Formats: sequence, C-alpha cells, structure tokens
Amino acid sequence: MIKRLLALFLSAAFAGLCACGDEQVIHEQAEQTEITLSWWGNDARNEYTLAAVAKFEEKYPDIKVKCSYSEWSGYEARSKVQMVSGTEADVMQINVGWLGQYSSDGEGYYDIEKLSEYVDLESFPGEILEYGRRNGVLNAVPIAMNAQTLYINKTVYKKYGLDVPKTWDDLFEAAKVMEKDGVYPISGASKSVFLYVLAYCEQQNGKTFFNENNEITFDESDFKMMIEFYNRLVKENVMPKVEDYQRYNIDSGVYAGTIAWVSDAINYNTGAMDAGFEVIPADYTVFDGMASGTGWYAKPATLYAISKDTEHPREAALLLDFMLNSPEWAELQGLEKGIPLSREARNYLDSCGQLSGLQYDASLLMETNSEIKPMNPLVENTDLIDGFIEVCDLVLFDKSTSEEAAVSLYKKYKEKYAFE
Amino acid sequence: MSKKDKGGKSLRNIRTIQSAMIAGYALIVIIAITVVTQFAVRKTDEVLKNKVISLTSSLGVQMKLNMQSYLSRMETIATLAFGEEEAYTYDAADENNDEYEAINKEKVITDKLFSLCIMENFVDYGIVYSNNRTVGKISNATLTHFGDRIFDDLSSMISSPRRNDGWATGYDGDFKRVYYVKRVHERAVLVISFYAHELDSVFDNPEALSDMDISLVNQDYNILYSKNGGEVGAPLSQDIRSRIEGQSSAAVMDNDYLVSVNSCGDWYVVCSIPTKIILEEKNDMKRYIYMTGILAAVAAAFVGLYLSIILTKPVKKLVASLDDKARLDMLTGMLNKLTFEEYAKNSFERSVDNEYRALVILDIDDFKSINDTLGHAVGDKVLKNVGSILKNIFSEDDYLGRIGGDEFCIQVNTRADTLPEFMEHLENKCRELCASFHKIYADDARSMKVSVSVGAAVYPEHGRDFAALYNACDKALYISKKAGKDTYNFYNESMEGGEEQ
Repeated sequence: MIKRLLALFLSAAFAGLCACGDEQVIHEQAEQTEITLSWWGNDARNEYTLAAVAKFEEKYPDIKVKCSYSEWSGYEARSKVQMVSGTEADVMQINVGWLGQYSSDGEGYYDIEKLSEYVDLESFPGEILEYGRRNGVLNAVPIAMNAQTLYINKTVYKKYGLDVPKTWDDLFEAAKVMEKDGVYPISGASKSVFLYVLAYCEQQNGKTFFNENNEITFDESDFKMMIEFYNRLVKENVMPKVEDYQRYNIDSGVYAGTIAWVSDAINYNTGAMDAGFEVIPADYTVFDGMASGTGWYAKPATLYAISKDTEHPREAALLLDFMLNSPEWAELQGLEKGIPLSREARNYLDSCGQLSGLQYDASLLMETNSEIKPMNPLVENTDLIDGFIEVCDLVLFDKSTSEEAAVSLYKKYKEKYAFE
Repeated sequence: MSKKDKGGKSLRNIRTIQSAMIAGYALIVIIAITVVTQFAVRKTDEVLKNKVISLTSSLGVQMKLNMQSYLSRMETIATLAFGEEEAYTYDAADENNDEYEAINKEKVITDKLFSLCIMENFVDYGIVYSNNRTVGKISNATLTHFGDRIFDDLSSMISSPRRNDGWATGYDGDFKRVYYVKRVHERAVLVISFYAHELDSVFDNPEALSDMDISLVNQDYNILYSKNGGEVGAPLSQDIRSRIEGQSSAAVMDNDYLVSVNSCGDWYVVCSIPTKIILEEKNDMKRYIYMTGILAAVAAAFVGLYLSIILTKPVKKLVASLDDKARLDMLTGMLNKLTFEEYAKNSFERSVDNEYRALVILDIDDFKSINDTLGHAVGDKVLKNVGSILKNIFSEDDYLGRIGGDEFCIQVNTRADTLPEFMEHLENKCRELCASFHKIYADDARSMKVSVSVGAAVYPEHGRDFAALYNACDKALYISKKAGKDTYNFYNESMEGGEEQ
C-alpha cells in the first residue's frame, strides 16, 4: 500500500514539475493615459512648464503628458492647422482672439464648467471668467491680464539728461539726442508697434478700431495717419523698423526702451537689468495733457482651453486645475505670465513674497489704470498686422504715397473684415 | 550476554552494512545534487547574463536607430528649405541689395521656412547671413544667446565637409539646446535648433528597464543628453567610461555594471545599469535552486532509507532464520551442541572466581527403549517435552543445550553471593528437574514412564573450564545412572577413579 502511495506521490510530483515548464507567463505593462499639452513661450517658460508637468506626472503617475511647444512665432499658424485638422492638444494655451476665431458659438472648445468636479473655478472672479466665455459657454480660463507696456531703460535716458518719456513728443525729442549714437528711444516687434501706433491714432481720432459688432471703425484717412506715424517713428529714429528689430539690442541699451506685454517684462528686460541698467514700466504714452492709458488695450494674457474632442476630459481637467490653482505650478510659474488671476495661486505667491519686481510693477500699472479698454481679440490678428507693416514699407521705401498705401490697406482689410 | 544478542551478531553486521549503505547513498545523493545544483546555478547565471546582455545590446542598438532616425528626419527638414530657390540664392549680406526688395525676399523665405516647420517643436528654423541678419524662425533667445557672433559661431558647428553640415550642443555651456547647421552658401547658414528635452521620446525605454541610464555623449565622453543619469554637460562617470572607451558598438557586463555603447555619427548612445538591479532576481533564483537541492537531498535520503529497509527486510529474515538453524536444535528449540559448547566455553573463560556457575547434564533414562517400543515420533515428542520442562525450570540467564540424542546440558548462571547459597539453588533446580518428570509418560496410554538422570558440577569448585566441568558432570551422571536412575548427583572428588558416591 505504502509503495503504491509513494508511486502515486512521485508521479504527481513529476507531473507537477513537468507542468511548471508549460505555464503561461504574463507580464502586464503599466498603462498610462496620455494627454497632450501645448503652449508657446520662451526658454524660461518652456523650462518651468516642463518641470511643472513633471510634478503633475509625479502626482498623477497614471497620466503621461506629451508636450508640444515653441516660441510665439509660428505657433499661431501651427495652432490653426491643429484646430482645423482636429489634431489640437487636449489642453492648450490659447490667445483670447482664438475664442472668436474657432468658437464663435461656444462649441469650438470643451465646456470647462462640465468639468468643475475636477477644476476649481471658485477661485476665479466671475467677471474674469467672462473673458473665456463664448455664447455663454466657458471655453477657456484666463491666466492673467496683460497689456502692451513701454519699458524704459532709465539709466540710458538719464545718461542723455532725459526723463522717462510720457508723451509722443518726448520720444521725438529723445530721438534727436540719441540718434548720434545709434540709440533708439523705443523699439518693438510688429504687433507691439502696430498696437502702439493704433493707440496714437485712437488718441487722435477718438475711435476704437473695432466696434462691438467687430466692424472696423477706421477709414482711409485714419489708416493714412497710422502709416505716416509709423514712418515718422522710423525716419526720425524713434525706433528701428520692425524688420530690423533685434532683441539683444535691449540688453546693450541700444534700444533705450521697448514695447512688450506685461507678461514679457522679465523675458525682454532681464538682459539689460543683468547688465546693470535700471528698467521701469513707463506711463502709457499719450499726447500732452491726455490721461495716460487712453487708446491702450488690456486683455487676458493667455487662457487655457481643453479640446472639444478630447478623449480624456477627466485627465485634461486635472492638468488644467493643476496649472491654474496648484502651489507647485504657481511657485514655478511665478509672475512669468503676469499676476495670476486664480485666488489660490495669487495668495500662494503673496505668501512667498513673489509679488514684486518689474513684472509686478507693470501689472500694477495696468490694474490701476482706469483708461485702458478691454481689447477686441481681432485686433491681434496676424493678417491685420502684417498687412499694415507691408504698406508701411511701401511708403518707407518710396514705392507709394501714404494716401495710396492707405487705400491699399483699406482694400486689403475690406476683403476680410466688415467696416462700420 | 543473552542468547538474542549472541544470535544477532550477523544481523548487526547487516545493520552496519545497511547504515553504511544509507550514509554512502545519502553522500552520493548530496554530492550529486550539489554538483547538479552548482551546475544549474552556473548555467542559469550564464544563460541569464547572456540573455540580459543580448536584450540590452538590442535596446542600445534600438536607441541608436531611434537617434539616427530622429537626426535624419531633422536633416531632411533642413534640406527641404532648399526647395525654395530664394533660400539658397538670396544673400542678405550683399551690400548691393535693394532694401525694399530684400525685405520682400526675406518675407518669402520666412513664410516658406515657417510653413515647412509648422508642426515641429523647433526653437529655430531659419537662415543666418554673414552680416548676422536672419530670416525665418530665429528665436529671440537664440539671437540674445549668440549676439553678434551668431554667423561665425553657427558656421563653426559645421563638421562634415562632404555634406557641409554638422550637429552640436553645449554652446556656451548650454546643453539644453541641440543645433543642426547646414551651409546654404558662402555667406549663409541654415540652422535648426530644438530643446534636448525632445530627445525624451527618442530615448523612451521600456518600463522594465526604467532604471537604465541612457546618455548621449560626444567624442570626449561629455554628456549631451541624459535620461535618469548624470548631469548634462558633465563628463560621463569614469566607471561607465572605462568599460566602453574606444568601443563603437559593444555591450559589456561584469559584476558591477551592464553597459552598452553605440556610435551615432560623432556621438555615442550609452546605456548603463548596475548589474545588481538588472539581476536582482538572480540571487532569489539561486536561493530557490539551493533550497530545492537541499529538499531533494533530504527527500532522496528518506527514499533511500525506505528502500534500504524494504530491501534488507527479507535478507534480515533469511539471515535470522539461517542463524537460528545454525545455532539451535530444531526439535527442542534449545542450543545445539556446537553452539552450547562455544557459549559455555566462552562464558567459563571470562568468569572470575567469585562468580558461581554450574554445569548440569541430563540424560533421559532408557530413551532407546522408548524409541524402540513406541517409535521415534514418540521419542521426538519426549525430547520436545524435555525442552519445555527445562525452559520452565531454568531462567533466561541460563544456557540450555541438547548435546546428544537424549542428553541435555545446562549452564546455570544464576547469581549468588555465597557458594552454599548457590549450591542450595542448584540442588533445588536438580530436584525440581527430576521431580518434573515423575508425572510424565512417554505415550498417551501412560504405558511407559519417563525419567531422567542428572549430574552436576560447580565452577570453580569442580573445574575452571568447560572440559573439566563437563567431565565432572559426566562422572556425577554416571553415579546417578548407577544409583538406579531418576536421580541427580553433584560431582565430588570421590568420584574420581570410578567410585560410587
């Protein structure tokens, strides 16, 4: 009996051992939900955003964020291609103008209020959220407010015995003093210069470029004024023409002033400040006796939106909330995009003593100015700006008169925009 | 010494052999299992290492292919710029340019370049002229970083005279950007730059190898990009470098590191991981193999023991039976003559003077006539009966033997402190012995009475060895026979010379 039991046991053991070799081995790979995030920005923004995304991934290890980013130039065109082709990122940084462009009925982006379970919208004042609404639908959440600002290298101005310019005349006077050294009182890239010239003209004609119906209020004579003023600024060496604008000249003081967004205060001027120059935000340039800020615009710096077709709304919303409200993101972002509109983020920065410096001063200047108007997003459209610079060059290089150029610009705008 | 002990000598021998056999078997099994285990461990080690090195090597090659494919794609996008004629014919540094025409040409080139890189995460994709003027997408950061040395410094990055291009990173100590530069003409270069972070997707490795350090290093083994590993811009750790220096495509594994290197243009893709991480399961496996070996050895020893018991059981039975046959008188179950004599001789030889022993001889009276009258079967029955009576009367310590046809001999070993005490005991036994036969008949019909005559001699009084004592007993028996049988006599010296007691 024992022998039989032993034989049975040995057979079973052998069969068991044989069976071991045939066992199926399954190794499950950890699966992550991948969402995409796109933004534009400079090196500093790209670096801290990547670091902040890494912190998000640490907090939510089951979510992987694929980043797509570049400098502003080219980003707008890429964004358009992505929106039109349905390949936009799940979470994206957008310009306020794109809300009208891609979501006139509020259907172009995800309704973020449907995700309020994940995104804390309570920390945003209601009127601020209005900037992100289209047709009553919350398409985007603004990050901070922004305005074109004139930054002045006070050290260079002082060297020439000049005060910080307040009026247009101050600039032409400064140019007369500085031109012998090849120094320009101000400078700017095409959009900044366009809005600067626009401010001059709106102060002159008392109009607002776009009315509430998105119609252009300017006529040919207004365009002529714009073109001539641009030419005067260039010809009288108040600023270089936009094609010659090289940002490194700000660092060396060759550009004694520059027009840039509040959100770009540090980005543009850090080189000059590092070189020992004192840079301050100047009053918004106006005619003598006019209230500073007249003809100038403010807008949400940038907004965050979620793709209307996202396959992962929960994950996208978690990322959005992290970007808007988390101390981790606020700490890394600081004031880079302006003073955050999120109460949570703002309080955190305040508690860290980060609410100071050039960018903060520029923000305060904007927030405390009562003349600045809300910007119609259309005014930032690239074709509007490129068309203007193109005709300015015709006049600058004597290819046409300012009247002809104004007519040409009117026709060009007429093809795409309605006029009052 | 009991009879059992004496009889078990052969069995003890068998037990000794059995134990030696089990020990030898266990030793052989343990040695065999140790050798097999060692072999299995070594072989597993070897196979595992080979597999791991082969897989890692493949991963290294895959990383290199990824990198090559990525770089090649960048180079292709750069080449696309030459699809626009203005891009390679226009010279922004030409002093004879009409400024207005130049601006318009630059716009055309810029638009073209922007459209080509629209979906790429490029920082720069543009052309830089010898007067440092730029067209296309050249970032403010790049302009600030290079300043008025942009054309010269970018031109110096061209390393391939054949293709007029080159890859570079670490410009001015900044390893966060990777540059590809291609000469457009004598006074213009095209530049593509992107963040090194973009290479994350190139060097994305499987979850199982997430501990692996993947680095891109230049020919001086300075780190250009690193995933999990060392600091970008710093030299590759000496531990890793020493293992792959001078190699262009190899995988090396020792007790400390597993490192693979694959050249990719002027750069190398280096993958490294501490061996202990990648082979951490190996030690567990080793432990399991050793444990299995020990269990197998124990199991084998038990099985061996069991089999040996099964194997020796019939042998032991056989030997015990043969031993009994050789030692005992089969009819009475008492010691046979030879064995009795041997035991008795040995016993007397080892005895000392203050030990009292006795030899008693018993002879069945008229046994011949029982045989003749009633037959041998009855005779045998009588003999058997004698055996039973003797066993009843004498103790376990006494030796009982049949030394002739109807003659029995007993060595009395009962302990006594004095000779009289011993003599008294002996006399009692002899009397009891004779008396036991008084009611015994040879046959069932009770026609023939059985009686015995007994002679006894005492050690050391009547002799110091078996022969002397036997002789003395014989004489005493003779006297008993002479005296009319059915009686007993102790030897005394007067019996010498055939005198009657």
